[in-house]
Amino acid sequence: MTLNGIDVTDFLTAMLATGLLRAVPLAIASLGDVFAQKAGLLNLGIEGMMLSGCFFGFHAAYKTESVVLGMLGGIAGGLAMALLFGFLTIHLRVDQVLVGLAITIFAAGLTGYLFRDWYGGQNVAANVRARSIEIPLLSDIPIIGPAIFHRQIIFYICWALVPVFAWLLYRTRFGLNVRAVGESPFAADAAGVNVIRTRYLAIGLAGVMAGFAGAFLAVADLRIFTIGMTVGQGFIALAITMLGGWNPWRIAAGAILFGMLNALGDSLQIVGVGIRTEFIGMLPYIGIMLALVVLAGKTQLPASLGVPYARGQR
Amino acid sequence: MANDALTPRPPLPDGRGGEPRVEMLGISKRFGPVLANDNVDLTLWPGEIHAVLGENGAGKTTLMNVLSGMYQPDDGQILLDGQPAVIKTPIDALEQGIGTVYQHFTLVPNLSVIENVVLGTKTGFRLDLGNAERQLQTMLADFALNTTPQTEVRHLSIGQRQRIEIIKVLFRGTRVLLLDEPTSVLTPVEVEGLFAILRRLREQGVAVVIITHKLDEALDLSDRITVLRQGRKVGVLDPETLAASDRETSRLRIVELMFGGRPSSEGSDVASGSAAPGETLLTLSAISADGDRGAPAVKNLSLDLHRGEVFGIAGVDGNGQKELGEVIAGQRRSTSGSLAIDGRTLTNQGVSAISRAGIGYVTDDRLGEGSVPGQSVAENAVLKTIGLAPFSRKFWLNRKAIERHAEALIEQFDVRTPSASTQLTLLSGGNIQKLLLARELAMKPKVLVCNKPTYGLDIRTAQFVLKTLREQANDGNAVLLISSELDELLDVSDRLGVMYNGELVAIFERGEFDVETIGQLMLTGRRATGVAA
Repeated sequence: MTLNGIDVTDFLTAMLATGLLRAVPLAIASLGDVFAQKAGLLNLGIEGMMLSGCFFGFHAAYKTESVVLGMLGGIAGGLAMALLFGFLTIHLRVDQVLVGLAITIFAAGLTGYLFRDWYGGQNVAANVRARSIEIPLLSDIPIIGPAIFHRQIIFYICWALVPVFAWLLYRTRFGLNVRAVGESPFAADAAGVNVIRTRYLAIGLAGVMAGFAGAFLAVADLRIFTIGMTVGQGFIALAITMLGGWNPWRIAAGAILFGMLNALGDSLQIVGVGIRTEFIGMLPYIGIMLALVVLAGKTQLPASLGVPYARGQR
Repeated sequence: MANDALTPRPPLPDGRGGEPRVEMLGISKRFGPVLANDNVDLTLWPGEIHAVLGENGAGKTTLMNVLSGMYQPDDGQILLDGQPAVIKTPIDALEQGIGTVYQHFTLVPNLSVIENVVLGTKTGFRLDLGNAERQLQTMLADFALNTTPQTEVRHLSIGQRQRIEIIKVLFRGTRVLLLDEPTSVLTPVEVEGLFAILRRLREQGVAVVIITHKLDEALDLSDRITVLRQGRKVGVLDPETLAASDRETSRLRIVELMFGGRPSSEGSDVASGSAAPGETLLTLSAISADGDRGAPAVKNLSLDLHRGEVFGIAGVDGNGQKELGEVIAGQRRSTSGSLAIDGRTLTNQGVSAISRAGIGYVTDDRLGEGSVPGQSVAENAVLKTIGLAPFSRKFWLNRKAIERHAEALIEQFDVRTPSASTQLTLLSGGNIQKLLLARELAMKPKVLVCNKPTYGLDIRTAQFVLKTLREQANDGNAVLLISSELDELLDVSDRLGVMYNGELVAIFERGEFDVETIGQLMLTGRRATGVAA
């Protein structure tokens, strides 16, 4: 069966494969941001942390020609931005919205400058190839076989982080502390939880994951860096975190949904449906807005989201 | 439950002969000019319920906060099991077996019961809830809590949450349990349940302390009662005394300790009460209203306010006084009854209609609902009249008129501020209070309702405020003064009503003010009869 001369099986395979690939950075960044938000930190710097991860990940991969070092470079880039965010908002108690936006703008400027300075603004590709594995038998299933079971190792690692983060949030003392300090930091403090340290750990984890997501984009997926290449994906991840109700499983589902919307746009262009590409490009963003409307009033923000903490100041 | 305190108890097996668990010796604590605790001793025995009684501001909560590690005493010593103890933080206290249940609960609403209980305990990285759950199940059953450990705390009632708080501190091995006004948020049935739990803890050898200003509860529940007054310990009723005397005698003794020996205030310079009461300005007929939690706070209250009088409302905090003030100001809907101003019925007509009819209201929440702290003195001075000429016309504010008005008020009421454009938060509490009062009086209200207008003020400012209220009445208006300071009410009121549990339980005319009777009514809602009621 064909559609405009394209085999339907191939079409669906490509769409599913692309969708899942697009979903990875969103899911990864969201998983980390769950901890920031649950700890009471509204992390508008996530876009900047992700972009920083893209650039430093790409740079490390380009210089070392190693995927692993590239990913670590990205993580370091995200973490550095997160620690800056943490110092300003937790330590100095500057307004989180201001700091978050400042970090996003700062990261855009910094990566743009360094890219021009170090690479002359040329789009060079890093000479790396993330290894793939093919899972026997399962990869022979039509459509989902090639789309799911014949992928890069890093792809599997990313999705394996979903249960790990669910465990971390719900089954560990750290997760409990995070959930408590974002809700009632005073109660947590009274119970003996170190609010400041918990918040630093939470934003650090969010930065690591945002950097990881950026590096996935620039190193494992595209192998290039372009200025401003995250184009709002960090903010989409922020929205997915809230829409998913801070639940890692629902966040994974949300990320896949938006990844698929993205892939659908691409696929429709390939098939040649007579819709302008700009319109198709809007699809995922329209999806976000629809989801916000549907879920309006149903999400309950952590009570102390965005509120700095100082002992003895209610 | 009334019989409980009358039955002489057998001497307690442990504790009485044993070591005291906690000894607080010569505790003093100063806040600025106020000596909140002045050389107070308190001894807590295991297996005993100890009530600490006193009026608002007598220093009860300060004393408990010293023991629970919230405050460091300026002077004095704490012994735990005979050994000197250092208690620097609430965590220190918990780790040494002193657990506190605060008036405002410290539970995280979106976490489950078990998560709240284990929060902050020091165990491994992985949460081992299995073990905790077995322990918690038993405690939940013991405490008659019909809920699972997995229930989120936000789904529980106030009474249940309080029990979870108690479980939370007991879970960490608490042997001294402090409860700050534990019954103030509970329904009568919940109070009974709480008392049953506290009695069981006493049997298990826990030293229980309840801070309260409810006399009957203290008598029902406690083995020993310490009375504080103005930061000093003025008396202890030990178990032998309590067992030896009947309830009414104990009650009179405590009221005497709390209120007795006050100087008579008639003839004080602010008091006047010269004018004979004039026509009625405000009529409340059988008004009822609910509190913030939906429980009835004002019950079937009737009151006439006349030209030329200051009517004082006395009562322990939380007996419906604030809600009454808000109903009159139009901020709170009444559920039944009617309100009339100068003969016009204006029940539930809202703030602006009531304000236009001539009611002024000065809230006790100066910085919260009384003002916009981040704005200037001038802007705050016209907050309620900003929509009127000359302060604004159409879209435009008349800055000059606003400033002139503010400067006049500052001058007239001696508000100490660098300028009219100074940010309000930079002013002291007393000056903010004067400004709020000035703002209301500038609107020329016929009836002025003031809730705790002197709270936290120094004596001179407080006198100024009271004098202003007195003059307002002398000019032919009426003032309703709600206060928890009995002394100032005695000074300034022409008539004095006592609120207890949402009801106006008595009204006294000037000249028949009797401090001890008023104290009795504030604490129990009843007059002492000399015979057990």
